[in-house]
Amino acid sequence: MINLAAADVRAGLGRYLLTGAGLGMLIGVTLTMAGVYRGMVDDARVLLRSAQADVWVVQRHTLGPFAEPSQLHDDVDRAIAGLPGVAATGRTTYSTMQVRHAGGDLRVMVAGFEPGRPGAPAFLVAGRPVTRAHYEAVADARTGLVPGDRVRIRRHEYAIVGLTQRMVSSNGDPMIFVPLKDGQDAQFLKDNEAIRNDRARLAANPAFAPPEVRDAVAALQTTNQSVNAVLVRVREGFDPALVAQEIRRWKHLQAYTNAEMEEILVAKLIATAAKQIGLFLVILAVVSAAIVAFILYTMTLGKLKEIAVLKLIGTRNATIAGMILQEALGLGLIGFLVGKIASLAWAPAFPKYVLALPEDAARALVASLVIAAAASLLGIRAALRVDPAAAIGG
Amino acid sequence: MNVTPAASVEAPAILVEGLAKRYGSGPTAVDALREVDMMVQPGEVVGLIGPSGSGKTTLLKALGAVIEPTAGRITLGGEVVYDRGWKARDLRALRRDRIGFVFQQPYLIPFLDATDNVALLPMLAGAPNARARERAREMLAALDVAHRAGARVAELSGGEQQRVSIARALANRPPIVLADEPTAPLDSERALTVVRILDQLAREYRTAIIVVTHDEKIIPTFRRLYRIRDGRTVEEAGEGRRFD
Repeated sequence: MINLAAADVRAGLGRYLLTGAGLGMLIGVTLTMAGVYRGMVDDARVLLRSAQADVWVVQRHTLGPFAEPSQLHDDVDRAIAGLPGVAATGRTTYSTMQVRHAGGDLRVMVAGFEPGRPGAPAFLVAGRPVTRAHYEAVADARTGLVPGDRVRIRRHEYAIVGLTQRMVSSNGDPMIFVPLKDGQDAQFLKDNEAIRNDRARLAANPAFAPPEVRDAVAALQTTNQSVNAVLVRVREGFDPALVAQEIRRWKHLQAYTNAEMEEILVAKLIATAAKQIGLFLVILAVVSAAIVAFILYTMTLGKLKEIAVLKLIGTRNATIAGMILQEALGLGLIGFLVGKIASLAWAPAFPKYVLALPEDAARALVASLVIAAAASLLGIRAALRVDPAAAIGG
Repeated sequence: MNVTPAASVEAPAILVEGLAKRYGSGPTAVDALREVDMMVQPGEVVGLIGPSGSGKTTLLKALGAVIEPTAGRITLGGEVVYDRGWKARDLRALRRDRIGFVFQQPYLIPFLDATDNVALLPMLAGAPNARARERAREMLAALDVAHRAGARVAELSGGEQQRVSIARALANRPPIVLADEPTAPLDSERALTVVRILDQLAREYRTAIIVVTHDEKIIPTFRRLYRIRDGRTVEEAGEGRRFD
């Protein structure tokens, strides 16, 4: 038996391919949206993995340092370091801000770290690590900076000495790593006007009249002794969950294992974005289905007389329905292939990391075929309602 | 009853007795066919003529097993198709295997070439593709369009399309062919050619052919005619004029 669908497609191949390509653009957008979500999840995982920590210690009753603000005294790491099972600690600050470069500005996450300790930048792809105590920085390659560039972070200029790769915040902002003290300054240091203002208020307050009290309070106001998190690397053979439990119990701090931190980043921090993307995917699926349904319906309406003749000469309804269904599945397949190629082609142009997973592609293929099959029902219904008697007479 | 049995011992290919068809019900009901009787022998070409709205198309649809008569009996090739409310079980197979259709417009499948348009019928009947195409080529040759076998429908002239549609109608060697104004879009010469072809094929394949027509050019060519008026048929002798 002749494959009627293949013959019909061959006869109007250009129009069919063009229709499939148009549908493919929509599927490409769908795949890209899914890739953006996957990229966000992957960014979060890379952020955690690159910190090389097993436990994240943050302010009690917070989900810090990424999901909620967290402040810890910067000497709390010494007490943590003494706990059984703790191999190393590293104090860190994280603050998302605009940094100035070459007359413009960049949105980045500035991370303060201690060299050689958990939280230091990993995956250096160019330049060298930070070796000086101040005003050197390592930047993620996505900032567009190169070693030798200078950026201004709040009041200070920093020389970019090295580059990392795939080091971005959960929002997709590339990271710049600076020494811890500079990170603390970037986040907590007041500007000079505010310091002068605080001093004037202090001098005017009779409660702080004794010079030693006033100096002590002034010192507290101008220095910053906080970090956002202490990252802990656990000794081999120790369970990070138990170490985290000990920290929670004895130090009145919140401690999360990597798995718990990942849960916070993925399930809480990017949950809204995930819902938004999910809704977009549903809308795109519905729009795609509507387009395929409309195309197949109009294609069927254009063939009603031929369908009537086919029925009159004894063609089974199943054969006619099969023809429409096969054409729909073909459109779905072409749409998927074009969509996949398009999404891979335009992914590098996206500011956020777009991660194309094979399983997402497989799901998209199945969804494309299911949507195309469902969309063909309208055309099939129109074809099955054609009366063979319509072929006879005017 | 106006049926005049032909002087043949062969069973009639088409036998219609007291056929009626009513559309709708109550005061708005329309009796498209009232008391139709008709008989066509194998190998015979019969004209069915009548003014617009007289019931020609309804009769053709009933004979083509696509509408159900209200009353009466239709026997095709010795097999009862309708009998006072009863109908044969597989009308689709009946249409496929026993009835060929030729339409006013050729209504070829535009995305198939001439060969496959004809081969489709044997294929639907279960013939392997190669054999069906071979049969199609034979039919196209019989209709002098073998040289257009690979042409798409849009590449064929009106006359060629009509020949291909006749080849399609005869591809399964049906005992009955129903032709609905097959010459309407053609000029006199081509119209007469089509009727001559139908006449030759009727004699060659022993096919009973009913040609519904308004076409004054071809009416004189029929040896026997049924005139239909107000849903009733009257048999008339035709001129049976020679085609040349």
